[in-house]
Amino acid sequence: MSEPLLSVRDLRVSYQVGRNFVHAVDGASFDIPRGSITGLVGESGCGKTTVARALTRVIAENAAITGGQILFDGKDLAKIPEKEMNALRWRDIAFIPQSAMNSLDPVYTVEYQLDEVLRRRGGLGRKQSRARSEELFEMVGIDVNRLNDYPHQFSGGMRQRVAIALALALDPKLIIADEPVTALDVIVQRQILDQLKELQTRLGVSVILVTHDISVVAYICDRTVVMYAGKVAESGTMQAALTAPSHPYTMGLRNAFPDLQGAASGILTPIEGAPPNLASPPAGCRFKPRCPFALDICGTEPPVIDVAPDHPVLCHRANESAALRIEAAKTETWMAPA
Amino acid sequence: MKNFKAVGSRLLQLALVLWAVVTILFLMFRLMPGNPMAAYIDPTFTLEQQQQLMAQFGLDKPLWHQYLIYLGNLLQGELGQSFRYREPVGQRIWILLPNTLILTFSSLIVAYVFGILAGAYLAWRRGSWVEQAAIPLVLTTRAMPEFWLGMVMLAIFSFSLGWLPAGGTRAPGNEYSGFLDLYTSRDFLAHLALPAATLAIYSQGLPLLLMRSNMLDVMKEDFVTMARIKGLSNWTVVVRHAARNALLPVMTSFAIAVGYQLQGNVVVESVFSWPGLGRELVNAVAASDYPLAQGAFLMIALVVIFMNLAADLLYAFLDPRISHA
Repeated sequence: MSEPLLSVRDLRVSYQVGRNFVHAVDGASFDIPRGSITGLVGESGCGKTTVARALTRVIAENAAITGGQILFDGKDLAKIPEKEMNALRWRDIAFIPQSAMNSLDPVYTVEYQLDEVLRRRGGLGRKQSRARSEELFEMVGIDVNRLNDYPHQFSGGMRQRVAIALALALDPKLIIADEPVTALDVIVQRQILDQLKELQTRLGVSVILVTHDISVVAYICDRTVVMYAGKVAESGTMQAALTAPSHPYTMGLRNAFPDLQGAASGILTPIEGAPPNLASPPAGCRFKPRCPFALDICGTEPPVIDVAPDHPVLCHRANESAALRIEAAKTETWMAPA
Repeated sequence: MKNFKAVGSRLLQLALVLWAVVTILFLMFRLMPGNPMAAYIDPTFTLEQQQQLMAQFGLDKPLWHQYLIYLGNLLQGELGQSFRYREPVGQRIWILLPNTLILTFSSLIVAYVFGILAGAYLAWRRGSWVEQAAIPLVLTTRAMPEFWLGMVMLAIFSFSLGWLPAGGTRAPGNEYSGFLDLYTSRDFLAHLALPAATLAIYSQGLPLLLMRSNMLDVMKEDFVTMARIKGLSNWTVVVRHAARNALLPVMTSFAIAVGYQLQGNVVVESVFSWPGLGRELVNAVAASDYPLAQGAFLMIALVVIFMNLAADLLYAFLDPRISHA
């Protein structure tokens, strides 16, 4: 495998809440290869959005990157000065937010907002900027005449397309899409995902798709990073995650979501319980309280085991995963967690 | 096309409000106790003379007839004769209104420009010592009654230091050839300084606190976060996105503040002997000069109604979500 575009190593991000520190991201490591589309999945509060935002270094006021490296194109984004980071934002790393309604400024036209990025960040002239805006609108399939419209005049799906056009404006190397289709209905979700995939393939840009919906990941991603309670449970190719999920949490997630392609995979089985409170996480494996395969050894910190090349798993029993998968496919297994 | 329709219906509403104000004014003065003519009719006048005088002012006719005459006159811009000055009310108001408007707008514009900038700045510097010191200070200025503040200003800058004149609009003996000549003279501006400063100090708290709290809300909006992720400069983020959006409700409050200010003027104009509508109104009521008081009230109501319309139109202009709705 060639040098990855982005390599996150032992990333730690903490929020200060009162006098306590919540370690929302507690030692996350993963790679994003060039030209790939990687799904970053996990439940609400698992730290996936925090990871996504940490990559841009625009994080909440009470949050801080407390450790680790974000190696991007030979630079450590966790360390470079703010000025250098700001020069890199949007030109190299763009962002597609969850709710395009709230993330477009309501008092300016869409063209103004494209123009702002193209001219202020891209250094384009007035005419070039207009031409590029039209080109971008054509790319995402919106009538060029609508450039002068305000955000509230677009439908939810259209706004998301505008957000994609904005993200593509400066030909970034990496696009982080934070729950880009969560607020949309399933039909529109699929249209937007298809478009995103098509543009990603055509332009060769790398995409990180943050979502709680593993079926969305299965639908368009070629890689996946599964997060649980601030840690990466498992990462690897989509193929590996679908055919050989090796962390019990990934196995559980697969049972809990319907297939976006419409193939009814039978009964959906939820994972009982809720993720731990990150202000005081349980000792050892964080998935232990909900894991049907937990043993006594799981009370100690689990190791990262490479079950296959490019397929690390954070689990004591990762080497037994083939046997566990058979058990995990049964609904009863998840009914009475150990 | 839609916009024209909206403006049209707004104007119709305005006409209705105006009619209601005019009617209430008419009834209010007729319901007040005491005979307004008492001050002008000498007890030695014969009954015939008294009646003649009443007839001259139209006070011998039934109420509904007086109302119709009143409406008819208003439509022609005729506000009647002042009992006290024995001159047309319109002419009197025409002299006083500019003084009031200049005082109101100059003080409010200063207050709002300062308030908006300071409010935005304090929101930006949230949690700093500047903010910690400034907020109680602003609250103090909000809590000071304007007549008291006016007297303190007079005591300091006029009586003690002697820097600025104490009252009126011009030094005695100074004559000016026209409006513009007077209002641009140093003399007038020196007289304007104290009352305008008093009103400005009293009024800046509202826009300042409003702007600050709006800014704090807007800074949490996703589009502000996105502007940062886009790598836009701090100035662009704070001014073009956060402040621009936070400004909307403040602009509306400006128009409403003009109405409040006209009430406030009654007090400040009295303290500074400023020959404006507010002071005249107080005098007219005290002297039972119905036509003049009516005219002054009407003028104030007109300005308030007009400013509300201006606020609506301005909001539609500033916020595309309104104009396209």
